[in-house]
Amino acid sequence: MAVKTKERPLATQPAKKTDGIVFPFDLEKQEQQENGRSDAPVIMSVDNIDKAYSGKKKVLKDVTFDIRQGEVLSIIGPSGAGKSTLLRVINRMIEPSDGKITFQGKETLSMKGKELRSMRTDIGMIFQHYNLVDKLSVFENVLHGLLGYKNSLQGIFSLYSEAEKKRAIEIISELGIEEQIYKRCDELSGGQKQRVGIARALIQDPKIILCDEPIASLDPNASKVIMEYLRRISRERDITIIVNLHQLDAAKQYSDRIIGLNDGNIVYNGAPDAIDSDAITRIYGSKLDELIVE
Amino acid sequence: MESLIEKNGKGRIKISQPNSGQLKFRMLMIGTAIFTVAGFFLLDYSGLELWPAIIGTLENLKTMFLQPQLNQVNFGSAMYQVLVTLSLAFLSTILGAVISLFLAFGAAVNLSRPWISRVIKGFITVIRAVPTVLWVLIFAIAAGLGAVAAVIGMLFHSVAYLVKAYSEAFEEIDEGKIEALRATGSGYPHILFQVVVPQTKSFLIAWTFLRFEINFGVAVAMGAAAGAGGIGYELFMSSSFYYDMNEVGMITYMILIVAVILELVANKLKSAA
Repeated sequence: MAVKTKERPLATQPAKKTDGIVFPFDLEKQEQQENGRSDAPVIMSVDNIDKAYSGKKKVLKDVTFDIRQGEVLSIIGPSGAGKSTLLRVINRMIEPSDGKITFQGKETLSMKGKELRSMRTDIGMIFQHYNLVDKLSVFENVLHGLLGYKNSLQGIFSLYSEAEKKRAIEIISELGIEEQIYKRCDELSGGQKQRVGIARALIQDPKIILCDEPIASLDPNASKVIMEYLRRISRERDITIIVNLHQLDAAKQYSDRIIGLNDGNIVYNGAPDAIDSDAITRIYGSKLDELIVE
Repeated sequence: MESLIEKNGKGRIKISQPNSGQLKFRMLMIGTAIFTVAGFFLLDYSGLELWPAIIGTLENLKTMFLQPQLNQVNFGSAMYQVLVTLSLAFLSTILGAVISLFLAFGAAVNLSRPWISRVIKGFITVIRAVPTVLWVLIFAIAAGLGAVAAVIGMLFHSVAYLVKAYSEAFEEIDEGKIEALRATGSGYPHILFQVVVPQTKSFLIAWTFLRFEINFGVAVAMGAAAGAGGIGYELFMSSSFYYDMNEVGMITYMILIVAVILELVANKLKSAA
């Protein structure tokens, strides 16, 4: 199954075993960084974003927030609140109707062509349905993360350098799927597929990883593994993780900050501990005891 | 509740309500049935004596299939002619497949702009509406009656057929997979050759090979009709010129064997892809 990972030596760092998960991960460093994300530098600021699809109904209304380096930011809210749209506005898979986004000191909404593509290489993305190319191997799918850096011919003929292949192997082993490296992706379990998705995002060497309901199709065990990985990635590599979640408990447990969306408005933006029944009511429109909390 | 339930003429409860599309389809089927029956009565049967005609046909079939033998050509040259026909089919299929692949990227609505897709689809519909033989005759004006005109004519129909088949396979692709690559910063050619082609490869191979089988059949007919050469021309000569039913039978068997082999190879290829 997806959650079974054996301990095995790694080239870079000795692996530490925590909850059956192998990851070269410095525990002490984590302790230091556990609290105090609020002083990290802001890498992206989202200002007054509006999004209306054809017609008048607005999906996002005047959304403003900052994203800090290395934080785990959860976006929660009921279905149709605009979570997925907000996530896709960040890497401009969806064009907002109005507003401003600044990423690493640059305005992103005016970017075009090559500049836009190079901005996207700095933002990885993983999905609820993994969105891997099933007919290709794990290795090939992970290498897809590098296509943003490639020209057309290199991309068409899969020309990757040996150094790039080695880096892909390293990331694949870190995520504990090296036994599946030459398997086709339709032979993998859900948890394994999601780890391939994470590897594809990691090889981009991103500053931010966007996660669109990464655990909505996984069983509780695999969900836990994936959330642990995401948090470790954020701690160890100082990558910002922005994650859409339906599971309030997972959001509280794994994130540094929670943004609550309701009907396109930010109704909560703060620490996970500070979320109270009043905030829950504002986000979901019903009281905590009326909700099924996993 | 009672008022919401509809009953049919016999007072039985209806479990579905036909929509306008289903009604139109039903009208179409009834219309087709009426015309089919009416057509039999409108045919001209004068001069046809049914029993002698049936018996004569069966005798011809008996000579063809139970006493096959080669008279005008020897076995070696017949095999060579089969090879010529196969080459005609192969050439038009391969050229058609390459052209179709690129046109199909433009024709698939999820990979292209709506107007490009509409232009290409309109174009191939026009090509498909004209029969292959007519295309061959049209090109024969420029290229002369023969293999070149036949290949170009078959190429046209192969493209029309394969663009439709390929683009429909491309349109089935999960939008999320394309989104995932776009999110990595990949450009359009990356998406085509790293997602679209690998994901639909088995379909592409299966459709191309099916077209090859069709083209083999068409190439036989073109040999006879357009002087393209190959086994079709030999078949035409032995049936219309020499009236040699034994040879017609033998050549038919040769074509049949090739078709069966092609079918077997197609199945192998499809399961391997």
